Amino acid sequence: MLKFNIQKSFKGQDKHSKDLHFKGEVDLSGVCTIFGDSGAGKTTLLRCLIGLESCTGNITFQGQQWLGSNSNNKIHKLAVEDRNIGVVFQEPRLFPHLNVQQNLELAVRKAKNSTFTIHHLAEKLGFSDLLSHQTTQLSGGQKQRIAIARALLTNPALLVMDEPLSSLDVTSKRLLLPFLKQVSEQIPILYITHSEHELFYLSKQMLLVNNGQVEAIGEPQKLFLDSHLSLIKFAQQGLILTVLVKEYDQQEALIKGCLDGQTLYVSAEQAPTTSQIQVKINSRDVIIALQPIEGSSLLNCLSAQIVDFSQDNQKAVVLTLQVESQSIYAYITLRSFNKLNLAIGSHVYAHVKTMSIIN
Amino acid sequence: MLSAGDYQAIWLTLKLASLTTLLLMIIAPPLAWWLARSQTKIRPLIESLVALPLVLPPTVLGFYLLIAFSPEHFLGEWWLSFNDTSLAFSFTGLVIASVIYSLPFVVQPLQSAFVHLDKSYLEVSATLGYGKYERLYKIIFPMLLPSFIIAGALGFAHTIGEFGVVLMIGGNIPGETQVLSILLFDHVESLQYSAAHQLSFILLAFSTSLLVVIYGFLQKRQQRVLNA
Repeated sequence: MLKFNIQKSFKGQDKHSKDLHFKGEVDLSGVCTIFGDSGAGKTTLLRCLIGLESCTGNITFQGQQWLGSNSNNKIHKLAVEDRNIGVVFQEPRLFPHLNVQQNLELAVRKAKNSTFTIHHLAEKLGFSDLLSHQTTQLSGGQKQRIAIARALLTNPALLVMDEPLSSLDVTSKRLLLPFLKQVSEQIPILYITHSEHELFYLSKQMLLVNNGQVEAIGEPQKLFLDSHLSLIKFAQQGLILTVLVKEYDQQEALIKGCLDGQTLYVSAEQAPTTSQIQVKINSRDVIIALQPIEGSSLLNCLSAQIVDFSQDNQKAVVLTLQVESQSIYAYITLRSFNKLNLAIGSHVYAHVKTMSIIN
Repeated sequence: MLSAGDYQAIWLTLKLASLTTLLLMIIAPPLAWWLARSQTKIRPLIESLVALPLVLPPTVLGFYLLIAFSPEHFLGEWWLSFNDTSLAFSFTGLVIASVIYSLPFVVQPLQSAFVHLDKSYLEVSATLGYGKYERLYKIIFPMLLPSFIIAGALGFAHTIGEFGVVLMIGGNIPGETQVLSILLFDHVESLQYSAAHQLSFILLAFSTSLLVVIYGFLQKRQQRVLNA
């Protein structure tokens, strides 16, 4: 368990000071994603937790006090180097005067009984042939893979990552995401991202940061449906569903999938490598009908129930549809809403024009 | 060829420069670190004092040191309370003067390297488990090694080349204070031009090759690391 209740105030240039107050409890299993708008305070929260940014309050990690006051009311702050956190920053930050091997050895030298070895990680992350290279010769993707290995080699009790994949190419991401998911089974990860793809793929727990505060902590699927959260406008643009892969038709380049019993077709250039895929359904790509539409090009028709709706000021209605155990949002006009006589509890057919695979 | 007196002066000069450089490499790094990082109001004052030998005529510095070393003043008096001879006209006096005189040449390259050092490397070092001092000597020192060598080399070379300060406080005692630059001056005054040529050439060749190594190799190497 990671518990924190911390404050920090910034003195802005125009004499407006900005106060941040983060309070929360994070269950340390798997990946906990820190999500929120730019400038919401995600990185500051992370830097305070690591100890790189000064702040006041309390932080406890698995019963160990990182920040707080001791019995004599004196402030106790555990030094960064004693917190046993592996950190991957947005930029790789490898030491430029050392080669790859030497960079990694710096981490190994300080690790107590490491579970990983340089050799093993180099093979797993595909940089075995780069060990003798100078770090200045490497590409951004190569450097970041080495930075991730370096953080793991310290044998951390917690891995903290600040948008580690944001500047990487698709190939690197495809390699790293499953790897990180696997790592998170051994080491808990705190993970900042802007990408809802990474969020839904990696994490079962999400910490929503808004305006210098922790707004909510919970499952991403639940928070994306909570209309009280600041996230809602963003969430209503489209939701991510988990689909079970049944078969792949090479000729038609189509995956036949199963969404809790209902059939779904997703186009894909290549056969999926995993038994589950995640697809994003944009709310504006959903067509609502009271009967299944016959004789059209639409491939996907999901039987659904309206569980909630909200009207935005553009005379449009956002429906929250329950499809078996999962949810999707649908954007329709107020006119359609009235014409079809929709209400909470109505049973409808959701036709999905397009959807995209995200992993 | 070189005379016995020349060899003695060369040996004395090397001894003076080595000792001075050694002392400077102890004093300058923490001072340069402080100058590069401190936000206090007295920093510009200290920075000016350190840089003073760059602009002040060496004779001015030598003159004040000569006065400070005299037994009528605090420093000279304190020195004489546990030594038989005065600081003025002694080798020890030369070392003290050289340290002050060459200080900016050692501090400035270090300060510049520390200013350009990205703070993020210190943060990474901490997250890898390296403590406050450990990260300085295990990671930052090797990273900035070219700058440390440049600083030491400049301090060494500058000490070898000093004249005015030595003339004021050292006099011209063979084996004690008669360094190369003073001996060269002696040779010229007594019209021994071939001897003067030899010493001048040695100094010229030494300084040129040192600067070529610094600017042609070490500085480039350091910049590659700092701009990475």
